[in-house]
Amino acid sequence: MIINFRFIAESIPKLLGAIPITLLMAFASAVIGWLLGLGIALIRKNKVPVLSQIFAVYVSFLRGVPMIILLYISYYALPNIIYSYGVSIGREINVDAVPAVAYAIIALVLEQSAYASEIFRSSLAAVDEGQMEAAYSVGMTKTQALARIVLPQAMTIALPNLSGLFLGLVKGTSLAYYVGVYEITATANLLAMPALNFIEAYIMTTIIYELISFIFNKIFRAVENNLKKFRAVAA
Amino acid sequence: MGHKYDWASIPSYIPKVMKAFPLTIEILLLSLLFSLIIGALVAVGALSKNKVAGAVAKGWISFMRGIPTLVLIFLLYLGLPQLMNALGVNMSGISKTTYIVACLALSTSANMAEMMRAAYLSVNKGQREAAYSVGMKPFTAFRRIVFPQALGVAIPTLGNNIIMLFKETSLAFTIGVIDILGRARSLSSASYGTNRLEIYIATGLIFWAVCFILEKLTKLVEKMYTKGRKQAAS
Repeated sequence: MIINFRFIAESIPKLLGAIPITLLMAFASAVIGWLLGLGIALIRKNKVPVLSQIFAVYVSFLRGVPMIILLYISYYALPNIIYSYGVSIGREINVDAVPAVAYAIIALVLEQSAYASEIFRSSLAAVDEGQMEAAYSVGMTKTQALARIVLPQAMTIALPNLSGLFLGLVKGTSLAYYVGVYEITATANLLAMPALNFIEAYIMTTIIYELISFIFNKIFRAVENNLKKFRAVAA
Repeated sequence: MGHKYDWASIPSYIPKVMKAFPLTIEILLLSLLFSLIIGALVAVGALSKNKVAGAVAKGWISFMRGIPTLVLIFLLYLGLPQLMNALGVNMSGISKTTYIVACLALSTSANMAEMMRAAYLSVNKGQREAAYSVGMKPFTAFRRIVFPQALGVAIPTLGNNIIMLFKETSLAFTIGVIDILGRARSLSSASYGTNRLEIYIATGLIFWAVCFILEKLTKLVEKMYTKGRKQAAS
């Protein structure tokens, strides 16, 4: 027998049970990372002195270092930083109680913020200058103009790239395996090890990732179509 | 806990890790070459009027974009030999580096195909028609008129894809290839992990430096190539 179907039947529930942790990492990192990315993009767009230079280096570094190394750095450096901080405020923090997934999310957030900031920067630049001026001319403040006029258009332009970024992020969570997070890939490996059922385990893993990508792709496409109403104005 | 880091030691790890740099570059160049070849075939399929070829090419691109490279590595390195063994084919003679090159080439081929397709479509149709009208054959028209213009459009994306591919070579350690990250890991375990953070930071700096150089090179090549050329209308 080439394929062990009993193994497949027994492991499917366990593999499916690992999907939430993968999605938790992806959603948490996307929400926090993209908000940070938007902030960085606005800082760099407005050429805030010092901060914009610091973030230029920040973005360049995070885009130049592979995810796996960011994960290792976060996993090995942060417990110490947290502990030292605890000591400095006179508290003994038990860093072993911090779950590995927290370090993985921090590494993913850093990476997402860098990539998202570049996407937002180019989409903000793509919104016509006249839009901002028109908003001023009808008496809006800078914040109002940004929130009501420029950002909705910029978001629409950014969306196709953000969807690509998110799909890459979902795939990137598979590396959290190396800092001890039992997400889909790690679970597949754990299940396959005892009887060396690698082919079955990884075919199932592949199917799960393909389905997740497929579903999110559809969702993003639907949102893009829905937001086209803003785009007509931006063009 | 309360471990003290030796930040000053970071630069001293860079040359030690760099000893594995030639292997990383070898993996990068080989997988780049094969990803371009596979990508070109897929792009031809995606652009052809043949419905089957189009569907196969689209399926290939979306499959390779959906699977994490790490899972592809495990699937091919751990899974495939089992399957082939059951079918009577022994794959134990294939080196780990070959598996990594194959996996990286396959996963990058989707991006390369998309890049080539977009670049080809960005060249105005009239260019090809004009070439035909002066008597060029389809292949000559492609080689002398369409390709040079498409290349100019593709250079920034190509540079980006190469940078992504370079970063992905870091996954070679997952099956025990001693590339720069593999070497960093063995250096760290040789000292029982006491200096692992310093070593990983040193390795990160190497990746950053190479990515920075690749980015600058891309800009330079783009500037040199598009200089004096009319931009292909998009």
